Amino acid sequence: MNENIDIVRFQNISKRYGQLLALNNVSFSIKKGEIFGYVGPNGAGKTTTIKIMVGLLRGSGGSLFINGYKMPEQKELAHRFIGYTPQQIGFHKWKNIKQMLTTFGILSGFDKNLIDSRIDELLTIFNLINFKNMKISKLSGGMIQKLGVIQALLHKPSLLILDEPLSGLDPESRFQTKKLLKELSENGTTIFFSSHILSDVQDLATKICILDWGRILKIGSLDELKNEFTQENQIEVNLSKRSEKFGEISKIDGILRIIEKSPEKIILNIEKAKNSDEIINNIITTLLENDCKIRSISPVSPSIDEIYQFYLRRGGGFQ
Amino acid sequence: MNFPLILKDELNGFYKSWVMIFLWVGLPVLAIFIHISVPNQAGVDSLLFLTALILTSIASLLSSAMLAANIINEKDTHVYNLFLIRPIKRWQLIISKFLSVYICVSIALIISILIGITIDYIETPYLFEFILESVKSPLIMIFAIMLISSAFGTLIGVLSPSIVVGVIIVIFIGQYVSYIPTALSFLLNIGDPLVMVLVTSFITAAVLLGIAILVFNRKQF
Repeated sequence: MNENIDIVRFQNISKRYGQLLALNNVSFSIKKGEIFGYVGPNGAGKTTTIKIMVGLLRGSGGSLFINGYKMPEQKELAHRFIGYTPQQIGFHKWKNIKQMLTTFGILSGFDKNLIDSRIDELLTIFNLINFKNMKISKLSGGMIQKLGVIQALLHKPSLLILDEPLSGLDPESRFQTKKLLKELSENGTTIFFSSHILSDVQDLATKICILDWGRILKIGSLDELKNEFTQENQIEVNLSKRSEKFGEISKIDGILRIIEKSPEKIILNIEKAKNSDEIINNIITTLLENDCKIRSISPVSPSIDEIYQFYLRRGGGFQ
Repeated sequence: MNFPLILKDELNGFYKSWVMIFLWVGLPVLAIFIHISVPNQAGVDSLLFLTALILTSIASLLSSAMLAANIINEKDTHVYNLFLIRPIKRWQLIISKFLSVYICVSIALIISILIGITIDYIETPYLFEFILESVKSPLIMIFAIMLISSAFGTLIGVLSPSIVVGVIIVIFIGQYVSYIPTALSFLLNIGDPLVMVLVTSFITAAVLLGIAILVFNRKQF
């Protein structure tokens, strides 16, 4: 399949719950193999978007295509390609893990003869193989969360739609799940996931979409988001010895501001348009010529939290 | 091809549920109790009819309440979400739920009636042929009432927002709905009453299930 094909095309869709406009003319598209991180505060409209994508809710206006199939009209065809983990996972409690996964695997169209080995493979990855015959009612919340991800992966879907897949998982499981998702993406699986854990979004997403009050505030790669956020680049300098002539660095072309965090730790704001490598070289030379000793010098990158809050504020999310 | 799997799944869940265990054990015990304790003065056929009537009342009430509560519970706990995002038809979920309860409870009722017949046979072996002839009408009544009460429970399960509301509706209205076709068939006196009971029950159940499927198809989760 051509990598430029839109696996998901979500265009101008709105959703209203009574007086509340949960989604306001939302549009985005996801290409094959992308990991699309959908972030926003509680009540932003993340789950509503996901439920419309999988056909559990109907949006108003616009159009939605999954793998070329129009939703919700062709949802039975589209569902063959979708693996979905809901935020709130409900299973038949009287079944055991194996029974539950077998049912979902077969319903998703997976080969009956291969289902047992596929279940074992996934249970091993998620450290649940020893609980295979345990009843769902006896499982912990974290185990249920893992099963939610496993049932979505069973039939090897080409599009994974995951609503808060990592919340509730222990650190080891989070690591394993993220690793697995990255591997799947490298093999061509398209992944859409919502989260409010920004570090997860930073680790996983190749494209990030920030949503608030049902509106999309920004879509782009992390670098694109950073570029818009930072008007100035920053360089952090740590000194082991500071001389009286330290102030000479303010004369370097391209340095806009000097922020002294402590006598030894200094943040330099530099013009975005200038070549930061050249400026760093000039800083090193100037400091050494002026009897300062450098412990470390490195460009400072804004954290994803800072970027996220910047877009929320700009979009009117924080009053 | 998914429907048999979903039905088998539901049957597996229902036949060993607490309510069904109560029915598997309770209905035969009640049948034995009625046959032993009630004097058979009115005749074997009347006793059989009385047994069927009492057992069906209990079983239909429990089956409709069980269906309504189960469907509402599965809506509340998001169980349907993982089925509805798979390539299956929504009606399959509703019909398999209805059929699994209908089949399980009907089997429990038939076992109980057979136990009653066996007791009658032991007590009055010379009336066995008469007993077999008499069993037709209670059996048709069982199937008819069960059909409607199960369909009504399914509809209330789909419509009701909470288990409490659903069960209250089933208890206070379901009983009357279940007996309407039976009563009408005997009152109107058109053709064979038993055939009329069967026909009206099938039509009523089909309408109730049709509405349930229509609502479920349009439901957003």
